[in-house]
Amino acid sequence: MLIGIDVGGTYTDGVLFKQGAIIATVKKPTDDMNLKNTLLEVLDELLPSAGQQKIERIVFSTTLVTNLLATGRGERTALIMLPGHGLPHDAYDICPDIFFARGSVDFRGNVIEKLDQKEIDDILDRIAAADIKRVAVAAKFANRNDILEREIQSRLAASYPDISVSISSEISNKLNFPRRAATTYFTAMTVKEWMRFAAEIDKAITERGLDSEVHILKADGGTFSLDTSFRRPCETVFSGPAASTMGGLALSQPNLNSVVLDIGGTTSDIALIIAGAPLYASKGARLGQHYTHISAFAVNSVALGGDSCLDYDGEIKVQSFRRGAAACFGGDYPTVTDAFNCKMDLGIGNAGQSAEKLQQLASKAGIESSELCRQVVNIVIERLVSNIEAMFREWENEPAYKVWEVVNRRKFKLDQIIGIGAAATAIVPQVAARLEVDSFLHDYSPVANALGAAVVRPTLAVELHVDTPNNFFSVGPGGIRGSLSDRGGMQLGDAKNMARQYLLDMCREQGMESYASESSFYMEEQFNIISGWSRSGKIFDVGIQIAPGFISEYKGVSS
Amino acid sequence: MKPTGILFFPAFDWAISPTHPEREERLLYTRDQIFEEGIMDLPQIKEYHPRLAEIRDVARLHFCIPTVEAQIIEAHLVSAGSALVMADAFMQGEVKNAFAIIRPPGHHAMTVSHGNRGFCNINNEAIMIEYLRQKYGIKRVAIVDTDVHHGDGTQEIYWHDPDVLFISFHQDGRTLYPGSGFMEELGGPLAHGTTINLPLAPKTTDAGILYAIDELILPMLEDFKPDIVINSAGQDNHYSDPLANMAFSARGYAELNSRLAPDIAVLEGGYSVETALPYVNMGLIMAMAGIDYSNLREPDYNPSRFKESPRNMEYIKKMLAQQWTAYKNREETIADNRKKSGNFINYNKSIFYDTEYIYEDQINHLRICQNCGGFRMIESRAHQRTGEHFHVFCISIPANACQQCQEEGRAAYQDMIKKRPFDLLYLQDRVKDDLRIYKVHKDTETVL
Repeated sequence: MLIGIDVGGTYTDGVLFKQGAIIATVKKPTDDMNLKNTLLEVLDELLPSAGQQKIERIVFSTTLVTNLLATGRGERTALIMLPGHGLPHDAYDICPDIFFARGSVDFRGNVIEKLDQKEIDDILDRIAAADIKRVAVAAKFANRNDILEREIQSRLAASYPDISVSISSEISNKLNFPRRAATTYFTAMTVKEWMRFAAEIDKAITERGLDSEVHILKADGGTFSLDTSFRRPCETVFSGPAASTMGGLALSQPNLNSVVLDIGGTTSDIALIIAGAPLYASKGARLGQHYTHISAFAVNSVALGGDSCLDYDGEIKVQSFRRGAAACFGGDYPTVTDAFNCKMDLGIGNAGQSAEKLQQLASKAGIESSELCRQVVNIVIERLVSNIEAMFREWENEPAYKVWEVVNRRKFKLDQIIGIGAAATAIVPQVAARLEVDSFLHDYSPVANALGAAVVRPTLAVELHVDTPNNFFSVGPGGIRGSLSDRGGMQLGDAKNMARQYLLDMCREQGMESYASESSFYMEEQFNIISGWSRSGKIFDVGIQIAPGFISEYKGVSS
Repeated sequence: MKPTGILFFPAFDWAISPTHPEREERLLYTRDQIFEEGIMDLPQIKEYHPRLAEIRDVARLHFCIPTVEAQIIEAHLVSAGSALVMADAFMQGEVKNAFAIIRPPGHHAMTVSHGNRGFCNINNEAIMIEYLRQKYGIKRVAIVDTDVHHGDGTQEIYWHDPDVLFISFHQDGRTLYPGSGFMEELGGPLAHGTTINLPLAPKTTDAGILYAIDELILPMLEDFKPDIVINSAGQDNHYSDPLANMAFSARGYAELNSRLAPDIAVLEGGYSVETALPYVNMGLIMAMAGIDYSNLREPDYNPSRFKESPRNMEYIKKMLAQQWTAYKNREETIADNRKKSGNFINYNKSIFYDTEYIYEDQINHLRICQNCGGFRMIESRAHQRTGEHFHVFCISIPANACQQCQEEGRAAYQDMIKKRPFDLLYLQDRVKDDLRIYKVHKDTETVL
């Protein structure tokens, strides 16, 4: 049996799943101040339905890190940046306790400027004097040479052993220094609270006599184990939309181009699935004002949902907020759901109450009730459609760096819209009709988020950079560095094998080797390095991943 | 404040040959640098997706012999198309200015193209300018060519166009390819003084080049009042460039662009792929986006290494004064030329294509028009790289041609169809945007 729990901003959903069927579902309001209790309440309500059967796996998503970042309740953390020469320092407005130091490395990993030991010591003294116990360090091109970050790390260990440090070269091997610095900083400031939370959950699960595998959902639509999460807690942000998207994918046919439209109370989340693969945000997850190296789905949130209330102030308005439940569910004001209910004759809840409240607003506007419904339905559909189309355009207009990418210009051809959430039944078929595609709704649509959490597999992406003239390679995440055994004749195939081997090692370490065979390359680049007029070697960049997907036990849902 | 548009197209799958300066690796470290800096994430920058230019966009400017398709591959269409994307973004008000960081380059490509010259097959900026004129009705254009090599292709294309001010500063042609761009090259008889060349001595530094910007180029732009200013942005004046010998720095490039404030910059040459381009491109982006670049410099930059000599400053001052006079007197000179010339002036021209060892012979005929810059007819012959020989006749009616030049140009085309002394006839009517090729032996006309 599998358990999936999705902790959302308003509600927490849980499902107990076995062999293609949902055995039990639970829905509870989320207590932001005590997420652990919310999680355990949902778990405790699901467990009796399992009876004596073994729970193999529990996966949950949480808003803990999102909340820590939003409220600034993370641990006070100093960020030491080595930006070298380039943008002015005020471009890096990441956190209050920020320190800039000399020392720089170039794109080939050559040290251009060494650390100024006195300057570093001064900075460390100031950090210690301010009683800050955690430090993040980020140097430009540390992904190509981490020596400066390592030096600061050892200096800190020698002078102030009670201060913990995270370095950017261990967090990501990707280019983009501000994103790497922000990701390192956010990791450092949330890790303590996350470990406390995770330990509590672990303990509570053990206390219940369960020996289930416990995984956390990530923004990239995959999971990782509790142990792995200690290293990169930030990857748990935005896992709610990821859960819904993967849930939608789990319920529908694979390999189609789909829009997942998750219609909640006051917001709708739009995600794209291209040939069965969810689309990622090209610049990574955005936390506050900062892009990061956290891989996350591209999700467009529209302030519009089933409970969005209707108004008249000279014209009919669909507001971005709610004034309670829909009239058909006993609310005092007409909502988007009520308008669809009447217009399409859906018979949701008490349809008579929908009609009554709509009539009141229509009279105020001096129009027929049917005209009011028509206008509201139009506004909703057009707002959703324009946001969906904007996402297509954005994807089509991603930068391209090779001739073939431009010649084979991509064009999004939509096959279906997958509806998720309680209000999806009313709205999604209309949006699909407007876009002239099929709509897909499933009985499990309202709990697709928790179902998604229950059945998604772990993910892992490994990036390798090789510079043969410099006899150097680096692997991320984890900041592995080394020299090459045979650099002279190294070809792209060798670099790919090397990356695959590192992926396999990391899979073993994280207890996910059963998925290693499903890895695929998502980046393969090679460049000849010319010195004078002859070739002195090659640079390779290779990326290999276990993409988001489903655990092998999941064979679809019984319909 | 509107953002700066950037189109970064490094063509990671195109090279002239594996070890050629124009190879895949050329913008690799620039990619590393600008991605690592994260500058594309800033709200001051908007990044764009390339597109393919259309064959018509190329044929509106060039006579590609025998056809556009025969002279180029898709990489060229993407590079030129990228310049057009930037032009659209600028004209439609999406961005305050735009920089196309693209390859292959273009500024050595001339009106007639039999092959590759100076790493260029088609001229990206000029294709963009004719597109701007056609689509947006732009009339007056200023091009400042900041590549270390003389922009001889762009110069030839606008040699007779009084509405295009072409200013090129470059390392003296006696010391560097293509061996042209001397002070006496001032434009054709009806556009005299709208081509301005500033040949600089090797080792000229930031101080010398910025002095020319301040004291001559900016006042000229102020006076000429162009509708749009284009920087033909080569990066090989840099002190580390392996193909040239100047002493310009990344910050110098940033400063130049900050002062010049071009509406659109298009990358040209620059072959110090590891020690200059990453920093020069950063400098250009920062300057155009209004980001403080005082913290930018190359790892090995040492300002005390490059001091402008008083003797060179004297030379520059004298040159600027002389070119200012030529520019100021242009209307008088042109009026004078109109009086003393007949209906047509005719001249011969030999063009060498260094990359492909092609020798082209041309006879040019320019109509001496009383109202406009005149239309031009070019008789051209060359053995192309394939061994095939072409003898063609090309008629180009410029975008700002008067009614009579349009009529006479079109009549000349019909006349040549009757006379048939050539393999191929071309008509390029940029006013009507009517582009035609006539295959004489087959008696067929293709309307593009």
